[in-house]
Amino acid sequence: MRFNLGFFLREAFKNMRLNLLMSVTAATTTFMCILVLGIGMLVNAHVSDIIRSIGERVEITAFFPEDATQQEIRQAREEVQSWPEVRESTYVSKEEALQRFQESLPEIAQNLEDNPLPASIEISLHDPADSQAVADRLVESGYFAREDISYPAQTIDRLNTITGYITWALRGATALFLISSVLLISNAIRLSIFARRKEIEIQKLVGASDNFVRMPFVVEGMVQGLIGSAVAALVVVWLNFFFVDWANRNIPFFPISATAVDTVSTMAILIAVGVIIGVAGSYLSVRRFLKV
Amino acid sequence: MIRFDNVTKVYGNDVLALERVSMEIGQGEFVFLVGASGSGKSTVVRLILKEIEPSAGTVYVNGRRLSAIPRRQIPRHRRSIGCVFQDFKLLPNKTAAENVAYAMEVTGQRRRAIRTKVPQILELVGLANKMDKYPDQLSGGEQQRVSIARAFVSQPPILIADEPTGNLDPETSVGIMQLLHRINRIGTTVLVATHDKEMVDVMRKRVIALEDGRIVRDRVKGAYLDEV
Ligand SMILES: Nc1ncnc2c1ncn2[C@@H]1O[C@H](COP(=O)(O)OP(=O)(O)O)[C@@H](O)[C@H]1O
Ligand SMILES: [Mg+2]
Repeated sequence: MRFNLGFFLREAFKNMRLNLLMSVTAATTTFMCILVLGIGMLVNAHVSDIIRSIGERVEITAFFPEDATQQEIRQAREEVQSWPEVRESTYVSKEEALQRFQESLPEIAQNLEDNPLPASIEISLHDPADSQAVADRLVESGYFAREDISYPAQTIDRLNTITGYITWALRGATALFLISSVLLISNAIRLSIFARRKEIEIQKLVGASDNFVRMPFVVEGMVQGLIGSAVAALVVVWLNFFFVDWANRNIPFFPISATAVDTVSTMAILIAVGVIIGVAGSYLSVRRFLKV
Repeated sequence: MIRFDNVTKVYGNDVLALERVSMEIGQGEFVFLVGASGSGKSTVVRLILKEIEPSAGTVYVNGRRLSAIPRRQIPRHRRSIGCVFQDFKLLPNKTAAENVAYAMEVTGQRRRAIRTKVPQILELVGLANKMDKYPDQLSGGEQQRVSIARAFVSQPPILIADEPTGNLDPETSVGIMQLLHRINRIGTTVLVATHDKEMVDVMRKRVIALEDGRIVRDRVKGAYLDEV
């Protein structure tokens, strides 16, 4: 049979106009489900961004022994920089160390006769979970003594535990939420189809195939899902800007960044989910009324 | 065209609606299926449309055994049968013209064909000036004309009407019967289930009478009751 897209579109839009209340209900349900899902995505993105930036601040500092030669220092720096776990490593010379010290504690620094501070290398990692391993490697490399390597082991352990919990909690919440939105939306669509079951019966008596009856409903579900989720996606993006702006002004010490959320892909995901739920919801709901 | 071979239909476990019914309706015939309410007329119609399956026996339509038609092909089967019902079964959100057009859209016909054919057929049933009215803006007789137009627009070989005048007053009924008769004269096989005695008596067509699910009479130029 010829696939009559124009006819299905006209039918779908006419039905939506005639069943405006039902369509608005279905679109509103989609809107709310996608809104909550989107907020979940925002929380997820910001939490992982915060965790990441805290992780970035965690650094391993390895102090060179007093008698380290320039040659050894250069070799050590090159070697450390080549390790895959290492995101960035910075060399802090004796002079720089003193300068920093003078800036932070000027009174004490005044009384120093010569420079007692050792040169060091500051290492930040891609994943703070690798701290222990990197510390071990620093010792193995032979340039540093175990007691000359410092890193906040406890902070890192705790951070890893918390990250694990939060990730799982967010995943669980998202899954629960998706399931309940599918149920809610297909219920809204089912109600609207139930109101039109007589029509479906007549269509089938006139010789319409299942797909012919179903198509306008599916288009309708798609449009409702699209409208509901597009509005929700816009609100989510606006909420994100609003939140980042507010946070930067009111809690600037908290590492909340505008780049934590990829606006375009977030919107794309939310709209795609809304459309899929709308299509699947109507497809499945019509099926029950097609057995004439 | 239509053949019932020892057809029995039991609804649920114990409602015997048809009992060993055998009949044959040839091409181009006009046949009344008469009987009191509950005698099984609608069951015959629903079996022909393959809305329901017989409990025993075989139904043939257009030379095909219905039990051999897979579910997927039921729509095509139904398109070969025009259908008219007591309650019209028009789509409430469509105008007269759109209701007729729907039956053509279903078969995937081109828009241009639909646009020329629909007004023609509505004119044929005498509704040229009511094409854009919705069912609830039309009288019962007019709605039935729309439903006949819809049943006939694709020129199916068979047209079945289940109590087409059941909701109409006698004058209106005459018009509807004349319409069905005209459709029959162009070669369409017409089967009308009814308990409208006067109508049947006037038309003097073949009459098959049902009583409690059994065929009790089959007369070529019959009346509703047996002529003594
Ligand atoms: N879906 C059904 N379930 C159970 N019994 C039914 C059903 N449809 C019809 N019947 C019964 O079958 C018998 C024949 O009904 P029907 O074919 O509708 O008769 P008619 O159209 O002549 O009035 C009646 O006794 C009716 O109550
Ligand atoms: Mg009946």
